[in-house]
Amino acid sequence: MDQFFEQIITGLSIGSILLLVALGLSIIYGSMGIINLAHGEFVMLGAYTAWLLQSHFGLGLLASLIPIFVAVALIGWVIERFVLSLLNNRPLDTILATWGVGIVLQQGVRLTVGSELRYVQLPPSLSDSMVIVGLSVSSYRVFLFLVTIVLFAVTWLLMNRTTIGMKLRAIMQDRSVAASFGINAKRVYGLTFAYGAGLAGLAGALVSPLKSVSPDMGTGYVVDAFMVVVLGGVQSLAGTVASAFILGQLSGAIAFLQNDTVAKALVLLAIVVLIRFRPEGLFTTRVRA
Amino acid sequence: MQIAPILIVCAVVFALPLVLNNDFLLNKVARYLVLGILTISLALSWGFGGILNLGQAMSFGIGSYAMAMALKLKTIPVHTGSGGLPDFMVWNNVARLPWFWEPFKSISFAIAAGIIVPALVAAGLGWFIFRSRVTGVYVSIITLATMVVLNLVIIDQQSYTGGFNGITDLAQLELFGIAFDAYGRATFYLVATCVMLSLLVAFAFTCSRAGLIVQAIRDHEGRVRYFGYDVATYQIFVFALSAAIAGLAGMLYTIVMEFASPTFLGVQLSLSVVVWCAVGGRQSLVGSFLGAVLVAGMQGALSESAAFLETWTLVMGVLFVLVVLFLPKGLAGLAQVAWHWIVHRRQVTQGIAHGVGRTREGSA
Amino acid sequence: MTTHLDLRDISVSFNGFKALNGFNMSVRKGELRCLIGPNGAGKTTALDIICGKVKPTAGTVTFDGAALHELEEHEIARAGVGRKFQVPSVFRDLTVAENLEVARAGRPGVWANLRWDLGQARRPNVERLAELVGLAEQLDRPAAYLSHGQTQWLEIGMLVAQDADLILMDEPTAGMTAQETRKTAELFGRLKGKHTLVVVEHDMGFVKAIGDIISVMHMGQLLAEGTAAQVEAHPEVRRAYLGSGGITNA
Repeated sequence: MDQFFEQIITGLSIGSILLLVALGLSIIYGSMGIINLAHGEFVMLGAYTAWLLQSHFGLGLLASLIPIFVAVALIGWVIERFVLSLLNNRPLDTILATWGVGIVLQQGVRLTVGSELRYVQLPPSLSDSMVIVGLSVSSYRVFLFLVTIVLFAVTWLLMNRTTIGMKLRAIMQDRSVAASFGINAKRVYGLTFAYGAGLAGLAGALVSPLKSVSPDMGTGYVVDAFMVVVLGGVQSLAGTVASAFILGQLSGAIAFLQNDTVAKALVLLAIVVLIRFRPEGLFTTRVRA
Repeated sequence: MQIAPILIVCAVVFALPLVLNNDFLLNKVARYLVLGILTISLALSWGFGGILNLGQAMSFGIGSYAMAMALKLKTIPVHTGSGGLPDFMVWNNVARLPWFWEPFKSISFAIAAGIIVPALVAAGLGWFIFRSRVTGVYVSIITLATMVVLNLVIIDQQSYTGGFNGITDLAQLELFGIAFDAYGRATFYLVATCVMLSLLVAFAFTCSRAGLIVQAIRDHEGRVRYFGYDVATYQIFVFALSAAIAGLAGMLYTIVMEFASPTFLGVQLSLSVVVWCAVGGRQSLVGSFLGAVLVAGMQGALSESAAFLETWTLVMGVLFVLVVLFLPKGLAGLAQVAWHWIVHRRQVTQGIAHGVGRTREGSA
Repeated sequence: MTTHLDLRDISVSFNGFKALNGFNMSVRKGELRCLIGPNGAGKTTALDIICGKVKPTAGTVTFDGAALHELEEHEIARAGVGRKFQVPSVFRDLTVAENLEVARAGRPGVWANLRWDLGQARRPNVERLAELVGLAEQLDRPAAYLSHGQTQWLEIGMLVAQDADLILMDEPTAGMTAQETRKTAELFGRLKGKHTLVVVEHDMGFVKAIGDIISVMHMGQLLAEGTAAQVEAHPEVRRAYLGSGGITNA
């Protein structure tokens, strides 16, 4: 029984990291139709910013979160403004462009900071562990889980309860009609992309104490996060949550039962089959084509 | 009809050994030419068919392994253990040659398989994808994921595939009494002949009605259906043709490199092909070919120094983004514009003011 | 005369909205049928049903004895149905000549089209077609560079090239000048008899100029059918158009 709960908690922990990374990807993909292959690099930038602030400015992880969000969001805004906004109606080219941007970001970090591994310290207040259902769980993982829920709630409120969210949803429906009502699509897109990038940066900062920080750390995350988005359905935030935790539990279980290669291959095959048979995701209803 | 650039490029390729008197250099150039063939195959499916295959290296890898398996079995008994088993199988305690290795004792079977297997795999995958009208970005994701799965399987099944190390220590290919030493002229001319063949086959296809219909599908898939064409069949066809050419390139790569490796069907190579194709011009066969040869060649020249290579990757990234943004037709498109401009100016100066630039965009 | 095209009790719904609700229509061979009705009456959906773009939730479509509602789009096209879309749909990266060539889908299979003979042999055919739609000067220009009216003409030319028995036209004169519209009416006059045409139109003048029989649709159903005079006198039609200033301004 203990092992079962341990497995569940591991799954929840993996799921919250997945959701953290996928949330930004989902917002960008769902609202702008852009598969952002540079998303992993935003995660990486967040982790490096955390390392930089800690090692050079002595700022703790918790205190750095807001500056990290702002910094990565700003980079995202610049990329949207000067690269992606030039590629309206060329979806295939946007994946290529974001992929190129990803290479540039990764190489840029490698050339300036170097490719050796970096480490970020846990916040001292969260470095102990607590007991949940008779099991000892690291406080930081509990904290991660709570932060993820808060960020999700904030994102949901932004999308559904604010003017900018309403404008974004209007643009998603029909860009030209929205524009004729005076909505500045360019500005909304820029802000959306920046917000998604900022979220990725936060995700990178938050996972940095758990894993080592390196220029290519983002690549793995983007695949998993993309899987979450595809599974959850493009325009459904709730679906994203459900699929993040389902995948968290699944990969926990598969890793426990099988070797890593098989787990990876199975995840990829699942993506292929899912796209083929339910491109709209598992948690959305079919609508008129 | 723009066959002239193809003929010029082929002539230059065949003339290269006259200029390059260094076997080592010749081998390197042959390598880039092979990568050029691979890029032509992508131009066919992406530039003409609108199918961005991010797993193009899968067909390349299959071809490469087909050739490597045959050449490995030819090394008996040097790099084999008892009973003619490849060395890595002996190390992994495999008792008998697996059934799917048996036919590769025949070199003709291997050559046929190197082309036909990728084409069949692509046709099967294409059937899976296009029959259900999966389009655009989703096609790219499926192709990429499929390739990674195959890559993982090959690495995982070490006792049958050589795993991470690939298949090394190969014999030389011998056909019609000619030995194809990786550093010899014979190999270079073999590669050059295949460059010409690939360019001509691809060109013939783009000039056929089927090629025209494939381009129409790229422009407006739905519209083509209402003229009575079965869109999926055309997509599957161009997908398989492209895979066959990539398979040919893979076989040549094994001959030139003298081994096969899982990296040949890796994400890195697959994405590099996309860059070469985009930079050279995805809607131009010659352009994409030259894009690969030039970019890969330059990368090879710089790879002597690790620091240079890192910078080069950064420069390539920036260049790639710029090409995607501002030169959707790549350098070939730029060349076309320049050519029109020159022709136009000459006509204007000569006072002939009509019949300017009658060209079919997208050919050659 | 026997029925050529027959739509029986067709219903379609999108998310609960009934675009067509028990719609019936039959058209004789060689006839030119106009389909009119207020916005949202289901005219375009009716064409979508015939060419297979939308599958009916209930009802049958038969064409020369073939059950079209059971076929895929390309099979319907092979059965002899051609379609012009409301938003002109041509291949923008291909030249005018190539567009017309793609439309001549006599043999639609891959293998039959692998022969390497683009250019010379079929050129006269393509030139004649281009002449017909007034694009002879534009043969080698990519379709992306054509004006809106020229694009409309190109798509009409492509339908002539396709040589389908049944041609469906969705607002063919939208965006055309009065002169171009007159030319279209002439062309349609020549096409009917040899081909069967179903034309969705808003321009009542054009409808009167070309149509034999007019079908009026309202709320996904057939409201009335007859000659222009009969339809205009029909009380239900008058009621349906009330508020939009009568049928002529529809």
